[in-house]
Amino acid sequence: MSRFFANGSDSESESSEEEVPTQFNNKAQNFQFSDDEEEVKRVVRSTKEKRYENLTSIIKTIRNHKKIKDIPNTLSSFEDLTRAYTKALPVISKEENGITPRFYIRCLAELEDFINEVWEDREGRKNLSKNNSKSLGTLRQKVRKYIKDFEDDLARFREAPDQESDVDEGEGDVHDSDADRAGDDSDTGFGVGAKMAELPKAAKSSVQPTKIIADDDDSEDSIDWDPDTESETESSEDENMYQNMRERFLKRTTEKEDKDDDKRKDKRKEQKHKVRKRADDDEDGEGWETVVKGNVVEKPKMFEKDAEIDVPLVLAKLIEIMSARGKKRTDRRLQIDLLFELRDISEQHSLGTAVAIKIHFSIISAIFDYNLKISEPMKLEHWALLLEVMQSMMKLLLANPDINMNESIAEEHEEYATAPFYVRGCPLAAVERLDDEFTKLLKECDPHSNDYVSRLKDEVNVVKTIELVVQYFELSGSNNERCRIYLRKIEHLYYKFDPEVLKRKRGEQQPATGAAGATPAAPVQSSVEVMDKLCKFIYAKDDTDRIRTRAILAHIYHHAMHDNWFQARDLVLMSHLQDNIDAADPSTRILYNRMMANLGLCAFRQENIKDAHHCLVDLMVTGKPKELLAQGLLPQRQHERSAEQEKIEKQRQMPFHMHINLELLECVYLVSAMLLEIPYIAAHEFDARRRMISKTFYQQLRSSERQSLVGPPESMREHVVAAAKAMRCGNWQACANFIVNKKMNTKVWDLFYESERVREMLVKFIKEESLRTYLFTYSNVYTSISIPSLSQMYELPLPKVHSIISKMIINEELMASLDDPSETVVMHRSEPSRLQALAMQFVDKVTNLVDVNEKVFDMKQGNFFQRGNMGNRDRGYNRNQNNQGGNWGGQRRDNRSQRNRNQRGHHKQNQQQNQQQQQQQVHTIDEE
Amino acid sequence: MAQFDLTRINCQYLDRHLTFPLLEFLCGKEIYNQQDLLEYILDTVNKTNMIDYTMDTRKRLNLSQDMPDELVQRKSDVLATLKQLQNEVAPIMKATDILKNGESMKDSKTFVNALQKDYNFKVEHLESAYKLAKYLYECGNYQESTSYLYFCLIVMSPNDKNYLNVLWGKLAAEILTLNWNTALEDLTRLRDYIDSANFSTIQALQQRTWLIHWSVLVFFNHPKGRDLIIEMFLYKPLYLNAIQTMCPHIMRYLATAVVINRTRRNALKDLIKVIQQESYTYRDPITEFLECLYVNFDFEGARLKLHECQTVILNDFFIVACLNEFVEDARLMIFETFCRIHQCITISMLADKLNMKPNEAECWIVNLIRNARLNAKIDSKLGHVVMGTQPLSPYQQLVEKIDSLSMRSEHLAGLIERKSKQKNQESADSWKYY
Repeated sequence: MSRFFANGSDSESESSEEEVPTQFNNKAQNFQFSDDEEEVKRVVRSTKEKRYENLTSIIKTIRNHKKIKDIPNTLSSFEDLTRAYTKALPVISKEENGITPRFYIRCLAELEDFINEVWEDREGRKNLSKNNSKSLGTLRQKVRKYIKDFEDDLARFREAPDQESDVDEGEGDVHDSDADRAGDDSDTGFGVGAKMAELPKAAKSSVQPTKIIADDDDSEDSIDWDPDTESETESSEDENMYQNMRERFLKRTTEKEDKDDDKRKDKRKEQKHKVRKRADDDEDGEGWETVVKGNVVEKPKMFEKDAEIDVPLVLAKLIEIMSARGKKRTDRRLQIDLLFELRDISEQHSLGTAVAIKIHFSIISAIFDYNLKISEPMKLEHWALLLEVMQSMMKLLLANPDINMNESIAEEHEEYATAPFYVRGCPLAAVERLDDEFTKLLKECDPHSNDYVSRLKDEVNVVKTIELVVQYFELSGSNNERCRIYLRKIEHLYYKFDPEVLKRKRGEQQPATGAAGATPAAPVQSSVEVMDKLCKFIYAKDDTDRIRTRAILAHIYHHAMHDNWFQARDLVLMSHLQDNIDAADPSTRILYNRMMANLGLCAFRQENIKDAHHCLVDLMVTGKPKELLAQGLLPQRQHERSAEQEKIEKQRQMPFHMHINLELLECVYLVSAMLLEIPYIAAHEFDARRRMISKTFYQQLRSSERQSLVGPPESMREHVVAAAKAMRCGNWQACANFIVNKKMNTKVWDLFYESERVREMLVKFIKEESLRTYLFTYSNVYTSISIPSLSQMYELPLPKVHSIISKMIINEELMASLDDPSETVVMHRSEPSRLQALAMQFVDKVTNLVDVNEKVFDMKQGNFFQRGNMGNRDRGYNRNQNNQGGNWGGQRRDNRSQRNRNQRGHHKQNQQQNQQQQQQQVHTIDEE
Repeated sequence: MAQFDLTRINCQYLDRHLTFPLLEFLCGKEIYNQQDLLEYILDTVNKTNMIDYTMDTRKRLNLSQDMPDELVQRKSDVLATLKQLQNEVAPIMKATDILKNGESMKDSKTFVNALQKDYNFKVEHLESAYKLAKYLYECGNYQESTSYLYFCLIVMSPNDKNYLNVLWGKLAAEILTLNWNTALEDLTRLRDYIDSANFSTIQALQQRTWLIHWSVLVFFNHPKGRDLIIEMFLYKPLYLNAIQTMCPHIMRYLATAVVINRTRRNALKDLIKVIQQESYTYRDPITEFLECLYVNFDFEGARLKLHECQTVILNDFFIVACLNEFVEDARLMIFETFCRIHQCITISMLADKLNMKPNEAECWIVNLIRNARLNAKIDSKLGHVVMGTQPLSPYQQLVEKIDSLSMRSEHLAGLIERKSKQKNQESADSWKYY
């Protein structure tokens, strides 16, 4: 029900700009007033009264239950309904030739919609009580099952929900009159339009007074109407259907007036004048006017009838209107209307753009004021209005460079009359607010609905507006302001993927020739270049740290998105962001997390598995990447959020279109963890001090091992785990099949831009790492392995196998050497005796002991001596040894050098180490 | 070949006078059009006061045999200015004599005092001495310029606005007079100054970039330079950073220095990390050679790259002197890596990889074995080299592992002892007052 309902009212507000599609209204009414309608039915078809009455009463209760979201009762009522229907079935088949009555179908449709809506609203669903959610499940299932029998009827119903002919009489009447009125509108509109067209051109002095009179009349007239609509919104619960209905229509006309172009406005006022008279004639009998009149507030008169309209007068009026701002009793809606009217008047009298801009600006702030609660989005109608006003103001500003608009201009220094105009106001703040409002609107929509898409279409307009403001500030604006507006632009740009960039990267000459042929003059800037330009300006000119930090983060994000891995990495390293991101505000930290996630994905695409793992590990290890990326709230187990806290957290959420796919993220992380971890496990199978590279990956492995029966993999995680198991025995083919297959492609890999390349890269890595795992695992079984046969087994080119094995030998991971004439790997692995093995373990433990001792001492001493340094270095050294010491043949000739190197380490390396350390500290968003 | 030529980039970071040797070197290499090069030189020379050199270049360009009037005029102007400047400095000229004999006058303060007392020395004199030195340098009279600069250095306080310029000038003059020992000294002094002075980050980066380029000249000519270049470029984070951000092409010289420095083999690993990191901004045959050899273990690729390296080095002014050393050491590197991986190699294959004839290669290996650098035997019947493998005993491993333990524990014990003693003493001290 609510969907249609909402649609209905939506369309109403939109329809104010066009001619009204009467159908919509009809529909909305049908649902709204179906109660009356039942009664009507009962009267008409009295033979089946009993059954139908029974049905309708149940439907009524269902509707009531739905209203308060009492799901268990809805369920029970639904069961009653089905029973009643089966009872009524014989009657129906007799009376209606077996056609299911429409009201019944409607009820089913509404019920289905209701369930779908509740079901879709995940957040809401989570908050349902246990009882409620349980019955929701059952209800959904039952309704679904039940509805199957009525599929055809339902489909027909949905196609034309309003085809019902037996709407009640009153309603029909109203409709007719409304349609008439609309017709009249247009009729008179033309007539008057012709008349009015002459008016502005006519000599002002003579015409003005009369026109003002007209205006005055108008404003007085419209008073009756405006408050009506107000009261309507408040009294929507009213049971007085007729009035409600009326007001709907009335509201439409007044709104129409609000929004229409200014030039045509006076025309319409004339029309309306006439129309209203007619309407009065028509509808006086129904007596609604007397009911409402009590609420009417006398709207202040715009100007005296014969006042000379000039700049000071308009300004005085403006100040008068604006001074009411923020007061308790002020009717905010009225204010907006008044301002619009003032704008029209000032335009009629051509009082200059400065005044126009001032009024525009006041309108904008009035619209912002309309909504009292910050956390709630503004109304859609206002939003559309706001966008329009904002754009027209910016266009005015751009067209008139002699107007200075600045918030630093004091009220008394404003200048409207002569050439260098000075207006107080800040378009920057306005556009920032506008942008925030837009985000709020988006967050309000259900991301999977069409609403969201239609809202998202406004993004183009928002970007356009921002672009206008950017232009304005590029002409005149301090660095600080430019930085701020650039940041806004960046924030609308950074998450968008521009395929042009990759195309250019692949073939540099391609766009050049294309451009030469098609558009020789304007080589289109790719988004990366735009980004570069904006960010560089901010880096150079910004003096608040926050804007720069955000710009850097967005810049990195954008680079990472377009596979500029090195640039992105260098920016991360050079900015030292990891060091102080913990001190940043939550939204910057969210951006940081998003950046890291994307950087990880980029590293993965660019074949840097290790880096990908590093980037993602701190996001994944907490197990709540969703929360860290602000893509949804997780239910908390220990303590419930307070409403306040929940509100704050909801404000931080990212709008849906900016989300990073979490499954992709997790999959990339797990696969890179697998590629690193499995060979490592194989190499250090018997090592007492083996470390885990990835905790999350281990958890997955373990949870699958705990299962007594492992079926074929279904989810992404199961696929990775199965692949890991295959890799453990060096079976690359199985492993590759588990990672790259149809299911995984649709789930994960196809989300990448160049998915084919990524898959090839993956298979290549799987082959290599499987080969390594194979060598580690089975080297103690062989004395020699032939390289060609290895290359055959792993379908790798011979030099590649050679290179992999050489690397393993050089790194002393594999105790073997190559025999060139016979092309074999000869193993030198010597199994230690029991005693030796124990001795080695013992040594490990003693080393541990010494380590711990030193650590304890360090901790007690603080920074005594440069002991701390020494300890660190030694620990690092031990870790290094540990990496390779596990292999029994392992021999460390270059201990010394290793140690030396650890002492020094150059800059980038240090940074990377820093980064790693940093990554251990997880950047959680605080729960305030 | 021009694609690997760095002269163009290097010249951006060198003083005008320092570029002449590079450009002259290029003239002999026929990489670029001779005519263009000479014109470029002429262009550059015109900006200096070296009239004779200008003339010379003009002759080489076959412009004209006679000196144009404008040049004659300039020459006389230059001489006049020189004269004037020399006159200004004359009063303190004698002072330099004391400087030469008076060993005791090393301390700059006492020296300045003595100057003020005996020669009526004023700050303006210093200024003019600096000007003269600059002018002499402009004229190409580097030798004399150095002596004035030396004087300036001693008298000037490090806070003087010209101090940095003097340092740079001194270094340039010493390089141009091929006085490598003093050049190295000046280099260190300049480096210390840059590191300690309060530059903004950008300025410091710029200064360092310049210093890096100038120092390459010194390092490849000074006998100790080969160690120092590694020390400075690879292990001083500030300079490594400057290389990475400003001038990754310096990696070529760093790589060359590491390759020809047999005693610093362990620097290789660090170098390779840096090369890999920067591979997207800079690569040339020399860095690629190292990458092939130590990252991909692609011996065939390394062989090809080595071949390219030879031409690159031959055409690079900075490192042309190291060509033979480089080739020899690179071969050895290939061979060493080979031996570490293989236990049995055919000589013919080896010869192939090393760009040698089989006979030569055998001879080379024999020499290596004889010098005990290699534990291997040659099986001449099959034409194999068989490596002596050393089976690693667990005992040795064990010993290696516990090697440092006793040392560390002892150290720790010592520290604790000292600490406790200190504490005891403190407590004893505090008791004293009661």
